[in-house]
Amino acid sequence: MTASGMLKAAIVATIGFAGVARAEETVVWWDFLSGGDGVRMKKLIDDFNAAHAGQIKIDATTLEWGTPFYAKVQTSAAVGEAPDVMTYHASRIPLAVQQGVLQELTAEDWSTMGLGEADFGQATWDAVTIDGKQYAVPLDTHPIVLYYNKDLLEAAGMLDENGKPKGLDSREGFTATLQALKDNGVKFPLGSVTADGNFMFRTIYSLMGQQGGELMTDGEFLAGDNGEKLANALGVLAEWTEAGLQSTYTDYPATVALFTSGEAAMMINGVWEVPTMTDLAAQGKLFTWGAVELPVIFDQPATYADSHAFALPANQGKDMTPEKRAAVLEVVSWISKNSLFWATAGHIPANGAVTASAEYAAMEPNATYSSLTANMIFDPKTPLAGVAGPIFDVMSTYFVPTLNGEMDPTEAVESIKEELNAL
Amino acid sequence: MLRNRRKDALVAAVLVAPFLAIYLLVFVWPTIQMFGISFTDARLIGSGEWVGLDNYTRLASDPRFKTAVWNTAYFVLLTVLPGTVIALLIALGVSRLTGRLQAAILALFFLPYILPVSVVYLIWDWVLNFQFGILMHVFDLLGLDRIPITKSRTWFMPAVGIVTIWWTAGFSILLFLAGLRSIPAEIYEAAALDNASRWTTFRRITWPLLWPVTTLVFTIQLIAQLKIFDQVYLFSQGGRPNDNMVLVYYVFQRAFQQDQGGRAAAVAVTLFVLVIVVSVLQFQLLRLAGGRK
Repeated sequence: MTASGMLKAAIVATIGFAGVARAEETVVWWDFLSGGDGVRMKKLIDDFNAAHAGQIKIDATTLEWGTPFYAKVQTSAAVGEAPDVMTYHASRIPLAVQQGVLQELTAEDWSTMGLGEADFGQATWDAVTIDGKQYAVPLDTHPIVLYYNKDLLEAAGMLDENGKPKGLDSREGFTATLQALKDNGVKFPLGSVTADGNFMFRTIYSLMGQQGGELMTDGEFLAGDNGEKLANALGVLAEWTEAGLQSTYTDYPATVALFTSGEAAMMINGVWEVPTMTDLAAQGKLFTWGAVELPVIFDQPATYADSHAFALPANQGKDMTPEKRAAVLEVVSWISKNSLFWATAGHIPANGAVTASAEYAAMEPNATYSSLTANMIFDPKTPLAGVAGPIFDVMSTYFVPTLNGEMDPTEAVESIKEELNAL
Repeated sequence: MLRNRRKDALVAAVLVAPFLAIYLLVFVWPTIQMFGISFTDARLIGSGEWVGLDNYTRLASDPRFKTAVWNTAYFVLLTVLPGTVIALLIALGVSRLTGRLQAAILALFFLPYILPVSVVYLIWDWVLNFQFGILMHVFDLLGLDRIPITKSRTWFMPAVGIVTIWWTAGFSILLFLAGLRSIPAEIYEAAALDNASRWTTFRRITWPLLWPVTTLVFTIQLIAQLKIFDQVYLFSQGGRPNDNMVLVYYVFQRAFQQDQGGRAAAVAVTLFVLVIVVSVLQFQLLRLAGGRK
């Protein structure tokens, strides 16, 4: 074929394709959901594509969670190569807004989606709001909960008449439960992610919240007696380590393995591990298990939570066509309204209509722990916060030695305070 | 033969041009920009306001920068010389073997080098993990206390050093082997005829003739280890990142986690200058030491 012949063929082919490609909008989607919840999200995406055949098609890619994901989003948005829609942690929104990575969602967008403030819990709505503007649509809240092995607790006589662990209402009570398990021959009464300070931030921040403590007030970290409250929180955990009540230097996968193998009787972990348990139980490879709201170690119940949300990247030098934007909003809206299935990933759907449904009320263990939504606390609103952010690294560096008995809690708090305020 | 010098020069220029263009575009130009950014308060993306030497002066009182410098130096100390010596010893051993056996043994030593760092990390995590690591079970058998190797300040750098030597020795071994093979066999035959002992042969023949390769291996190691990042990043995930900080990690943290491009660039420039000074100095010193013989 001659050069001009090839050119002609190319032109014909292009015109041909343009004719075929009708109104179907492809929505490019990035997420960081690679665990049991990722499998469930893929199902939701498939359902969406099936329901919108010929109109909208989601082209989804799953990327590495944490810093790699967020670094990629930031750099690709800067050169106009970011996706049309992506999952985002609410805790990372302050930093994202500072970086100019996200598009604001206008009142018009919300009405197009048929969603609004009234559809979400106050804390969740606040988590995606900066200076009165919304930057993401919350999909869920994902708090941490207390998983427990009913068989082991029952053997130690530590199960109450409702099938929940005893001693969930006080520090003494919970320590006594742990001790009873230990006396009954359980190797690790509490499986704790003591090798991963990043992860333990969630537990420790919850324990601070149980004393009404705050990480950041008026732009200052650990001001007033907040430092003391952090030391108290660390103190309880250090005490459990010293008494041999929790696993030491255990990283995340090892903790889950200790719990699922029955070596650890309880475990504080994110609701995203619910699929692991349900799947194992379905295969008959797990004991009877349950999950409840965190024990109240201090004055009031409080649980750390973050929120997976959908955000639209601000692609530099690339304007979204109205058709594309409508398609993206339809994706977000549809997934939000059909997020009951997402609850099987353990997460608590952010859409109030979903959690109010009878189907959700019948869903276990979600229904048992969803009482905690009233006591949720989110990250402080600063560009330094958020999963895999700078606060995490500072905390982690001091949490690990403290939780494993190498460092005194007050000493750790002094250093944390110094380093955080130097950020 | 008569040659057209001008034509030769033109051909040379044309042949070199693609490399030069790419080199200028993706190395020299970004490096110049990095120097520029280091004097501004730029974020990761975009430009910033001129802040003069601020980014540099604040390094002096920055505890994390100090930790990073110290850890990097410590890591270089732990890996460069030991790594070179171990590679030399293994190369000497392998060179005594012949045929298929040599190829097989060499392949065994070279195998770790072809693994990506994430795989290296996973393998060693299975060995060192406090709860499930194979090594911990060995400790249990011997009646020793388990050690949280990657979570303790004392053991972190030595452990990462050993892993790094295990991982990268293969390449140095290859260089040493090539060096050993380039020493003519006649010299050894002559030495054997003179009844030279094995040690004398090594000291008088192998060592001096291998010196250029040793210098090369040492320099490559030094530059590579000054730029240590991947292993430290992977092994300190969730652990004690700020205690295990090394210079490139600090650049990464400032740039990608804290969105402070200017401050990250200042650290990067410091490292850049450090690498140049140390490696030039070291190469010259080794050359002088070699020349004296």
